[in-house]
Amino acid sequence: MILHTLNRAPDSAAFRDCLRFLTADDALLLLGDGIYAALKDSSSSEELAVTGASLYVLEADASAAGIVNLLGNDVTLVDFAKFVELTEHFPRQQAWH
Amino acid sequence: MIYSLLVLSPPHSGQGASTAVQFARAAISRGHSIHRVFFLDQGTYNACAAQVTPQDESDTLQQWVDLAQESNVELVLCIASALQRGLIDSTEARRYDKQAATIHPAFVISGLGQLVDASAASERMITFGC
Repeated sequence: MILHTLNRAPDSAAFRDCLRFLTADDALLLLGDGIYAALKDSSSSEELAVTGASLYVLEADASAAGIVNLLGNDVTLVDFAKFVELTEHFPRQQAWH
Repeated sequence: MIYSLLVLSPPHSGQGASTAVQFARAAISRGHSIHRVFFLDQGTYNACAAQVTPQDESDTLQQWVDLAQESNVELVLCIASALQRGLIDSTEARRYDKQAATIHPAFVISGLGQLVDASAASERMITFGC
């Protein structure tokens, strides 16, 4: 039950490390350049789906990058209130950066 | 719940610092308190008093200052990270014979022990990476 946050692009070592530790009980919130890992039909989004972790993307960052409509269907967009809510639910956070 | 934040991201490079301050505001709106924000490594640049933000960008420094003043949030810089970057308060300026303080007075400089203490005193510790 860990909330992972990733703010590096999917070609980073941070993404690979994060992927290795994600379990089905976990959630992953993508921030900053991390949002690109959730692009529809990308190899990174397929790799994330295999882990079974719930996938969230910070709406402010996705919207600033103009990719809201390009995200996969299994992604939930979150605002800052919902980000806080995730931290209420998950007692621990692991930041990958 | 009691939250503390660890900020590693500098302002104006990526979204990390801006995300952190907006997260703090949202947490307070949801009824939580922010015990301390600890700035480490490049995160200490957030306190630089001389930074000038372009008019069409959000002023992260002002947002930190507002957060500290309105919600009584402690903003603490890691002393080792801050001094190396020339980020000093008036005490350190005198100690090292520098002309002036370079950080905004809403921030204080202290040791890494304050991060450990924040972690022990808070129910949630959220890290914002660079």
